[in-house]
Amino acid sequence: MANEPARNQDVRDVWQNQRGEEVQMSVDAIRLKAGKYRSKIAWRNVREYIGVLFVVGFFGLQSTHTTDLLMRVGSGLIIAGSIYIAWHLYAKGSGRRLPGTLGLSSSIEFHREELVRQRDLVRSVPRWYLGPMIPGLVVLMVAVGRANPGHVKHFGWIFGSYCVFMALVFAGVWWMNTRAARKIQKRIDELDRLRGEAE
Amino acid sequence: MTACESSPDDLYAEAAAVYGAALERLARAYEIDPESRRDLLQEIHIALWRSFAGFDGRCSLRTWVYRVAHNAAASHVTRQRRTKAETLVGLDELADIADQSDSESDADRRHLVERLLELIHRLKPLDRQVMLAYLEGMDAASIAEITGISSRNVATKIHRTKLLLARRFQEGVPDGE
Repeated sequence: MANEPARNQDVRDVWQNQRGEEVQMSVDAIRLKAGKYRSKIAWRNVREYIGVLFVVGFFGLQSTHTTDLLMRVGSGLIIAGSIYIAWHLYAKGSGRRLPGTLGLSSSIEFHREELVRQRDLVRSVPRWYLGPMIPGLVVLMVAVGRANPGHVKHFGWIFGSYCVFMALVFAGVWWMNTRAARKIQKRIDELDRLRGEAE
Repeated sequence: MTACESSPDDLYAEAAAVYGAALERLARAYEIDPESRRDLLQEIHIALWRSFAGFDGRCSLRTWVYRVAHNAAASHVTRQRRTKAETLVGLDELADIADQSDSESDADRRHLVERLLELIHRLKPLDRQVMLAYLEGMDAASIAEITGISSRNVATKIHRTKLLLARRFQEGVPDGE
């Protein structure tokens, strides 16, 4: 660049001439590493879904140890809801591998696509994260209420408080995600302003 | 043989030979932890190798390489930010934040590259890309092609980058670098 201040040119020279680790990657080496990398990603995804495996295991065991049909139905619905959430996370969430078309998108396009994906994911939390768990939780709460043996004092109050607590947790999660979606939208708008004059 | 007639393996080999050092610098600018940096560099190389199956020669090899590398690195930063609660800022905001290593004694103690990296690590992805491209000696048109930012906005960002660098490194470049 012409008219470059001498010091800035010095800074650029220092940057470009910094000592590196001299990493050399041949085509054969990179092919081998790509295979290992796929295994690593697969293992990372498994770790992300251990929570789901725990829920499935817990409610699966619970349903086999009870004779109450409503408890079994509730546990089954919780398991189904958890599996649906895990599938949704896998299909649209962080487990996604980098696409092979990275070079076709400018940085701003790629960044925008990622932000839009994140915004849609958090915006639709009531549908794919909260919604699938509600039927199971409601059925389980009804089953617990029905099975009250009668010696627990103030059961109505305890049960009612639990319902209110669950409703507040759900409302809190929904509110936080709505706020996160708004923040992401602001970043998308900022990107649109930056690229606007190029179109 | 033109670039788009070469096999993906040949293109990758050429890109790794020509831009290998620049990719390493780019990885340093995106990841501070040495082990994660090696992972990131490997991730960039794999993304690059995979990407050449779709290379059609509509842009230069350099633009393609930097697009892939920046996009892969930005994706890495986004993933890391989910686990590290760090706040990234823009060029204009960073100019207003006091440089804690501005004193003369600090200038003696610290290397310029380390200070540059500290600065770069605090930038938002697009501002980071502009500063890196500037440091790599690219012109505004190339930066606009890689980032997708309009030429006018690139010019503004380069101007801010120059001011920021001039302000932070006004004592000059240390000897022996």
